Amino acid sequence: MTGTNEEVWHLPPRAVLLAAILLLLAAEVGGASMGRYKLELARWARAEMQARPAVHGLVGVRDVDERILDEAIFRVDAGLRLFHMHAEGMALVIIATTTVAVTLARRAATRRALLLLLTLGGIGYPLGYLLWSVLIPTLGIERGKALAERLLWLPFGGATILGLAWLSALIAVRMARR
Amino acid sequence: MMRATLSVMLLAVVGATQAGAHHTGVYAPKDNAITTNFRDVKFSVQAGKFDVALRRFDEGPLRTEMRARAASLPAGLEARTRAALEARDAAGVEHGLMTFFLALARDLAREADHQLAAAPSAPAATAQRFLEAIWRYYNLVDFAVSQRHPSTSTAMRLAYDEADSAVRAAPAVDTTRLRPTFRRIAEILSRAAPLQ
Repeated sequence: MTGTNEEVWHLPPRAVLLAAILLLLAAEVGGASMGRYKLELARWARAEMQARPAVHGLVGVRDVDERILDEAIFRVDAGLRLFHMHAEGMALVIIATTTVAVTLARRAATRRALLLLLTLGGIGYPLGYLLWSVLIPTLGIERGKALAERLLWLPFGGATILGLAWLSALIAVRMARR
Repeated sequence: MMRATLSVMLLAVVGATQAGAHHTGVYAPKDNAITTNFRDVKFSVQAGKFDVALRRFDEGPLRTEMRARAASLPAGLEARTRAALEARDAAGVEHGLMTFFLALARDLAREADHQLAAAPSAPAATAQRFLEAIWRYYNLVDFAVSQRHPSTSTAMRLAYDEADSAVRAAPAVDTTRLRPTFRRIAEILSRAAPLQ
């Protein structure tokens, strides 16, 4: 894999592979915990929300509040599911795209920048879903989403998109030169 | 060339995944225990399985709720509904259930008016949620209402639309516009059945 032949794939650095494997591990542990502690998580979310009626717009009428609580608990669960799914997917994406990057990028600076964008972006983006789930009971669905967006989805998702666009351009240039 | 082509294919797949990735799920509101039990009873009656309907009614939260709210319901509603089930009287059962859900929706409209009076600067979301809850109950019996009281069904739809557009008009509640619509909804629902 690391020979001198131009048509040989190169392995990404060990730190990148380790980060991807840890993300995959977090996804699996998250998925298993979500199934195992589903009831406990729902109870915790409900108790936290009931302790903050103003945040969630609870009005003290069961027929109205049940729907609000049900939606918020659904969103908490959806956030955990999406974290599980995206973390699994992005771990594999990190491995695949960084393999392409180290193989095709000739300049060391370009290679380093691509590895950084793709690895950090790939790790940070799925964590946004986890953060959103944790924030919903205390901040509400929309405020939690806005914070997760600002802190994780936009910067890390942006880094991944930038890394992918850069990598695509690099491949296009390499193909055009042949 | 082969390596570059494979890379392009990989990026196309990853890019497509990433583009559609930032979603947060779609929430589909579920029935609560009372509306679920209502559907059980209703469909059993429609299928002519009154014994099943009676069992569902006796064991379900619908009857428990009827008893709990007895003070705000027409006297003997729960007993009459049960008697209609025993007598295999589908129309009687439908009337009993319709009366009950109209009462639930009416009480919500009254409560919304009461809460808006207490907090005139309440967010529009509060009024919106009351409105959704009212419609959720009313919608279950709208067909029965429209058969018995067509003008009430029309009036209710107009009042709901008016309240809905008032709620959507601004981020904060316009109580001068909204409270009368909630009062009108309560009045319309009270007229539709002999409620207290």
